[in-house]
Amino acid sequence: MIDLKFDHVTKVYRIRQYDTDEERISPLLRKINSLRRPRHEFYAVRDVSFEIERGEALGIIGHNGAGKSTILKLLSNITTPTSGEIRVNGRLAALIEVGSGFHPELTGRENIYLNGSILGMRRREINLKLDSIIDFAGVREFIDTPVKRFSSGMYVRLGFSIAAFLEPDILLLDEVLAVGDAAFQAQCLQRIGELKKAGTTIVFISHDLGAVERLCDRVLLLKRGELAASGAPAEIVTAYQNDATLSSESVEVHKKGETKEIEIRTLSFRDPEGRIRPAFRTAEPLVALVEFEAHEPISDAIFSIIFITAEGHVLCELTTETSTERLCVARGPGTIEFRMEELALLPGIYFTSVLIKKRNAPDLIHCQHKSTVLRVDVGKEVHGNFYLPQQWQLRQTEPASEDNCVPTGS
Amino acid sequence: MSTATIHNPTKRMTKIIRPPALSLHGLISGLAELSHYRDLLYTLSLHRVKVRYKQSVLGIGWAVLQPLSLMLIYTLVFSYIARVPSDGMPYAVFAYTALLPWSYFANALTNATTGLVSHSHLVTKVYFPREILPLTYVIAALFDLLIASFVLVGLMFYYRVTLTVNVLYAIPIILVLTGFVTAVSLFLSAIQVRYRDVGVAMPLLLQLWMFATPVVYPLSAVPQRFQSIYVLNPMVGVIESFRRAVLQGMAPDFRSLAVAAGVTMFLLPLAYVYFKRVEATAADII
Repeated sequence: MIDLKFDHVTKVYRIRQYDTDEERISPLLRKINSLRRPRHEFYAVRDVSFEIERGEALGIIGHNGAGKSTILKLLSNITTPTSGEIRVNGRLAALIEVGSGFHPELTGRENIYLNGSILGMRRREINLKLDSIIDFAGVREFIDTPVKRFSSGMYVRLGFSIAAFLEPDILLLDEVLAVGDAAFQAQCLQRIGELKKAGTTIVFISHDLGAVERLCDRVLLLKRGELAASGAPAEIVTAYQNDATLSSESVEVHKKGETKEIEIRTLSFRDPEGRIRPAFRTAEPLVALVEFEAHEPISDAIFSIIFITAEGHVLCELTTETSTERLCVARGPGTIEFRMEELALLPGIYFTSVLIKKRNAPDLIHCQHKSTVLRVDVGKEVHGNFYLPQQWQLRQTEPASEDNCVPTGS
Repeated sequence: MSTATIHNPTKRMTKIIRPPALSLHGLISGLAELSHYRDLLYTLSLHRVKVRYKQSVLGIGWAVLQPLSLMLIYTLVFSYIARVPSDGMPYAVFAYTALLPWSYFANALTNATTGLVSHSHLVTKVYFPREILPLTYVIAALFDLLIASFVLVGLMFYYRVTLTVNVLYAIPIILVLTGFVTAVSLFLSAIQVRYRDVGVAMPLLLQLWMFATPVVYPLSAVPQRFQSIYVLNPMVGVIESFRRAVLQGMAPDFRSLAVAAGVTMFLLPLAYVYFKRVEATAADII
């Protein structure tokens, strides 16, 4: 039984060209000019075909701009394909952005009805599910409050509960689990598991490769709008990671005619014993090792490793820049090692850039962009945006007696 | 912990998503889908009414206040300052009777035109038949019309206007008006997705349109030689007939009402097909 079918689907977006100054002031002029200029076409999805069986959980992975979100928009009929055909067999709920179907002025309860009817449900069907939605979201006291007064956590919880309890035949999830705290994420994953067991077909789009591997039966890898690979989760996730490493582009920013003073060879992530590993867990010790080759001696060099999220935001950096010590590099090969006691990053996939420059000189000597990918799996349970290594100690004038330490309930 | 029920495979609807095209088939399948989503239409319309009056002190009173204050202004200007004829009726009730269907038309159109654009957060994130958005504004405005009608009853009682059985003509007249405003709303809200000029031009357009319609003056005041062109405006038949039926106890002006009904029947399917065509890629350009 096929629930979803993509049949040679292509989606083309027309891109407006760069506006000149006059055109920016006068939209009419822009309109006239755009008729003369050739249109730029961007293939967001190109000739993609796949099928999803009933009850199957399909993961879709790929870099940003690979066409994941476009596929989701096509599946949920938010937009239509330029060519090809999509068949959807059953009621489909898409959680593209949590709370996207919410009306801020309406109460939680009214929003449940609103979202339910957006799914194409009848009011009496929604009545039956109302209690389980409210309980799962844990917002019973606030259910008759306008959602604009909800905290962001409550928003996320209610949004997920609605999609997960209105029992669609097909559930589309886009990165929704990236928000919300770890406890709720675990609850969500459990609920998704239940739905899967009950025969719901699931399409899961995420940068959280660990979650994709755990949840999905099959994974599609997209590359620049095309279907690059399809198969067992572990296999495709590995292919994606290798691909991410291979696609590294080396950007060299130095003046023409000059010989390169220093070159980055590799960046690797290792455990304290020096073994290279494909993935690390949050709060694990980590060593980042840069191998380089200096063609000339450099006095006062600065090495940096920048971590970039899958969305392309610079997250943090490791750098020697703030150190007061002068780093003098002699001619010949060498390595520089950054040691971290505990890895502060949350589960996900991170790109890195390695930079080498001279202090007091604005030009980079060498920069390797998106060279190595660091994958972080679920380790220590963390609430919030990153893990903060910590030590703690309890102090009281009167130490607690043994009785106080007996667990409650016994 | 609740458990998910096993899905019943027999009740499933298969949906096929194809590249957009202008077609008559789209009209039929569109209507079938709209009927499937009728609960959303109901829920959203109800919310539209609720949200509008939720954080306002006067609440539902606004539905009455708008035509009432317009009536006072027009009575002052066109009855006391300029002496505009009113077919022998007291000017206040004469103007108010026409302002009821006119306000319905104007409010529905103003809100419905921006209906898609003002819900871009919904349009780009979830699917439902988009015509529901402009339609809810039409329904909400119809609700306001109902509320404001109670004041008309009061006014007619005050001016001792007697109701006749002809008042029942108001129902088909409002039906024609609803069809017409729906057609125009579908057209304009679809155009608004790409060209925001429509929404900006709307107040001006409505102002001009109102003076081209017998709202503040009677149809009889229009010179005979212009009348054949004048009645091509579908709102002429609607407004004039509504006032005749309700206030003057006469049969509608069938000639101009027939024009309105004809235009509506022609425009409505056309507007719907056009709307469905724009809807298909609205999320990309909104």
